[in-house]
Amino acid sequence: MPVLSKSTFKGGVHVPDMKALSSGSAIEVMPAPERVFISVQQHIGKPAVPVVSEGDAVKKGQLIASQDGFISANVYSSVSGEVEAVKKLATNAGMQTFIVVKNDFKDEEVLLDEIDDSDGAAIAKRVGEAGIVGLGGAGFPTFVKITPKEKIDVLLINAAECEPYLTCDHRVLIEYTEQFVEGARLASKALGGAKIFVGVEDNKPDVIEKLSSFDDLNVVPLKKKYPQGGEKQLIFAVTGRKVGIGKLPASTGVCVLNVQTARAIYKAIKERRPLYERVMTVTGKGVKTPKNLLVANGTPYTEILAFCGGMTDDAIKAVAGGPMMGKVLPFVNGYAKKTDSGLLILTDKEANVREPSACINCSRCAKACPMKLMPMYIDLFTLEQKYERAGEYGAMNCIECGACAYVCPAKRDLVGSIQYCKKKLREISAQGGK
Amino acid sequence: MERLIISNTPHVRGNASTRRIMIDVLIALSPAAVAGVVFFGWRAALVMAIALLSSVGTEVLYRLFVKKEDIKRITATYDFTSTVTGLLLGLNLGSQSPWYAPLLGGIFAVGVVKMLFGGTGKNFVNPAIAGRVFLMMSFGTAVSGGWLAPSIGAIAPSESAVPSLVDLLIGTGIAGSIGETSKLCLLAGGAYLVIRGVIDWKYPTIYILVAGLTLSLYKLDFSIFLPSILSGGLMLGAIFMATDYVTTPNTMLGNIVYFAVLGVLTGLFRGITGGESVSYCILLMNITVPLIDRFIAPKPFGYVKPEKKAKAAKEGNNG
Repeated sequence: MPVLSKSTFKGGVHVPDMKALSSGSAIEVMPAPERVFISVQQHIGKPAVPVVSEGDAVKKGQLIASQDGFISANVYSSVSGEVEAVKKLATNAGMQTFIVVKNDFKDEEVLLDEIDDSDGAAIAKRVGEAGIVGLGGAGFPTFVKITPKEKIDVLLINAAECEPYLTCDHRVLIEYTEQFVEGARLASKALGGAKIFVGVEDNKPDVIEKLSSFDDLNVVPLKKKYPQGGEKQLIFAVTGRKVGIGKLPASTGVCVLNVQTARAIYKAIKERRPLYERVMTVTGKGVKTPKNLLVANGTPYTEILAFCGGMTDDAIKAVAGGPMMGKVLPFVNGYAKKTDSGLLILTDKEANVREPSACINCSRCAKACPMKLMPMYIDLFTLEQKYERAGEYGAMNCIECGACAYVCPAKRDLVGSIQYCKKKLREISAQGGK
Repeated sequence: MERLIISNTPHVRGNASTRRIMIDVLIALSPAAVAGVVFFGWRAALVMAIALLSSVGTEVLYRLFVKKEDIKRITATYDFTSTVTGLLLGLNLGSQSPWYAPLLGGIFAVGVVKMLFGGTGKNFVNPAIAGRVFLMMSFGTAVSGGWLAPSIGAIAPSESAVPSLVDLLIGTGIAGSIGETSKLCLLAGGAYLVIRGVIDWKYPTIYILVAGLTLSLYKLDFSIFLPSILSGGLMLGAIFMATDYVTTPNTMLGNIVYFAVLGVLTGLFRGITGGESVSYCILLMNITVPLIDRFIAPKPFGYVKPEKKAKAAKEGNNG
């Protein structure tokens, strides 16, 4: 198929992508640790309910927590062994229930039942059963996404990987190409034969070349610009459709899935393996040897770091996910989740954390905003506690991509202000305000 | 466990800083300042030095005694905005100004217009322009020392004769304030700011062109177009003072409106009064900025005009 001119969206920022740190290293399988700590809340929605208790023997791929309600997801054990405890542990998102499994290193596995993979409904059902959620970072249950009420004619695979540093999707596309393509085909089948588009930033020419050999994939090279992989920005760049304010992509007939989500669909249907591992990038200048790792769900971050040679002495910040939207870790004491696309250890020079100073109204934030908001006024009015006034400048439409704060010369915490404003506006509307 | 920093997203930040931007502006102003000293002699250097000292000194003293900040913190967080204000004020005065003019101007610009309103980013008009206008209104041209022609170059023979375009561009033999006569230096500084991404070339260009066109139309004489845009304080005002971040709108459309109206006003003022125009017009437009930003705000991505609904409702009412 002909290569289209590079598509993009308005606004955005150019961030040094830093992908060279890890883009050259092939995916390495990290041996499962002695103990895994598997959270029952690795997705958006209600936490799953543990179905095992202390002392139970479990196998790899065995259901250990069952989904609770429509927007929730099953959780599977990533090792074989014995359930040591079901307990609450502190995470950076508050207290969560964890299932601690002691690994017996026998690697005994149970597979899911065989299904008819020519039937779209059966594929969708299996996607739900296998606990697959959006692996780009949001963790929205994929079953809900591929069974929309609206008619979907475009399945858009988000292979932009616009977050700097991260290279896991890039490596998956290169090393597990067949699995990815097959997963995308299965998802398309579940969506009633939607046309498959793959949006790839042009800093991955090897991916564009490799995927172009598949006739049923429409590969769309995208300009390297953050946040090119933002859902609404990606849809606009690839299809020219605009998702309305407060609407979901399905309203424009598009379903967006992440690269690794597509691969997880392949695994769940062709290999009959549920989601209990993923590829993540361990990188940053604060890591001795950056790597792309296939990590078992629930592996402690400390062990992942040790596997990569540990932290350097000048490391000052740890992040789960990408540098623009990831979650900061107060200590490196978390456990690998389905949604962890990266574990970043940053040095002072990279993080560039500086004290905020007064806004000088330079309007760089507004220029960078991919949603065409005015962050400087949202910040100003939020700090004055005039939340409704801040809302007039579009606070509720913010996708929290951080482009504004990245370019801010005064180093203001614009994202923090907007997040707080959104929270306050939700409270106001819950109280029956305007 | 190592001590790690906790802060909000994004976890990487760009290199831009207020201080860096202000230093860029100072670099961009330096050719004009050097030209001022070359054309007008040591008195020009003295005027600029006093303006700089009084502006910076006012900020430091205000922060020391009113804000009760200690000197370490002031040096660590000093963002060079009052240095820019001081230099701009100096460039806006005549080389023959008495010593108290830059001193009072600096105190007024930084102390009253900037610090009293909350410091950096809170001034409602451009401090340097406010300083210049304050001096002119209080003391008349006596305080600016009148606009003396420089010692270099042939002095324009009489008021009525129009100097050559080359002289206007370089500033040789042109009377004016210290910094406004050499358009070449100002343009070089402007080019530097555009390359550094500090200002957008479109906006000063709109201002200068619209001002020239308006004056030409008013006088119905297009031969004065080039001389008019190359004379007076238009270029200094357009490149360095009208583009002040704090007192310009935050959207592209808002800025186009702002600079176009500014150009029309300046052209008309120049045509009707023939006197001080640029600084009064910038001052006037500065205070319209909050209004412009209130009414010209971008619609969020994905916004659909509620046109159909309104139309349907109207038709329903009519029917």
